[in-house]
Amino acid sequence: MSTVLVAGAGEVGVRAARQLLDTPGVDRVLVGARNGALARETARALDDGAESVELEQGAALPSGVDAIAIALPMNADAWIIAAAIEEGIAIASVTEDASALAALDTAARAGAAHVVTGCGLAPGLSDVLARHAASALDTVDEVHVARFGVAGDACLATARAARRAPVLEWRDRGFVTERGHGAELIWFPDPVGARECELVSTGIEQLVAAVSGVGRASVRLGLPHTPRVKLPGPFGLLARGRQDPGVGWGAVRAEVWGAQGDTRTTVVYGVIERTGVAAGTVLGVTAAWLAGALPVLGPLPEPGAAGLGTVAAPVPFLAELARRGVKAAAFEGVPVG
Amino acid sequence: MKAFQRGLLVAAAAVAVSVVVKVRGKGHVPPTSGGWRELQGPDFR
Repeated sequence: MSTVLVAGAGEVGVRAARQLLDTPGVDRVLVGARNGALARETARALDDGAESVELEQGAALPSGVDAIAIALPMNADAWIIAAAIEEGIAIASVTEDASALAALDTAARAGAAHVVTGCGLAPGLSDVLARHAASALDTVDEVHVARFGVAGDACLATARAARRAPVLEWRDRGFVTERGHGAELIWFPDPVGARECELVSTGIEQLVAAVSGVGRASVRLGLPHTPRVKLPGPFGLLARGRQDPGVGWGAVRAEVWGAQGDTRTTVVYGVIERTGVAAGTVLGVTAAWLAGALPVLGPLPEPGAAGLGTVAAPVPFLAELARRGVKAAAFEGVPVG
Repeated sequence: MKAFQRGLLVAAAAVAVSVVVKVRGKGHVPPTSGGWRELQGPDFR
């Protein structure tokens, strides 16, 4: 039996906590937030014995924790990760900071701790799907993943920043800086459907690490149309009638090109679910696995820091997600336009 | 008055260009054939 601390009481953190409470191998779930009242309110709403913890930078982590599921914005989680590594506690985090991964890996190895970064939709589930799709081919040339949707205001701000940042693509086994964001129409499972997605750098390193030997890789991100200014009172209600139907939905798609025998072919996998539910389920399942509560997902990797797509075994991981309602699908057909 | 006439001319030109772009543009959603099938089986394919 194990104890898991969920750091963050936003859309993803709450869903991760719910998944952990529903995992038989997890006997204690702590919900932590900087705002103690929010943590208490969330734990009370979750019920099922969830406990609340006020997280204060510099303070000691709660005792007896086997793993921490971090659903906080990037940089807000740095002190928790440092404290957890020092105590040898396993970490699953929704964010990924590729520039800090090498240093994190060194620290995690020294502290004999497991750190899994990018445990959300993309990076995260998209990398697992890409690796699973790649395993269906004899050789892999190209991997292109795309994500649509955000979970909460912090996630939206991060996504908008990613679309403004310089773009990296993986070409001929090296990173290339793209000049434009190259918007492209990407087909996701319904009801999201066709969405314009722009190239971003977020998660590209994690994707390349997950699908070894790939010659070309890219990551795209699409956002629902949300007004930047919230209208007050009745004006807001009027605007809600014209709201993008994709708001609230999250989808990922992994398209892998390669050879099967003598034939060049493609494998496309996708997932659609409420964004917070999908990301929270991925985070919760990963944290439960790291805490030793889900041995069905396979043995734990060696201590160190890595992306989810690199360390998770795709088939049992996707099967566990499907058991919890986050189901992957394959696209069968060809574009004819 | 002359500035007003110039403004009208520019607006008319802009409308004309936008009409041409709208009529000749190919910004439609490309059709696809096929669909999504849930992954199943021991190999989850």
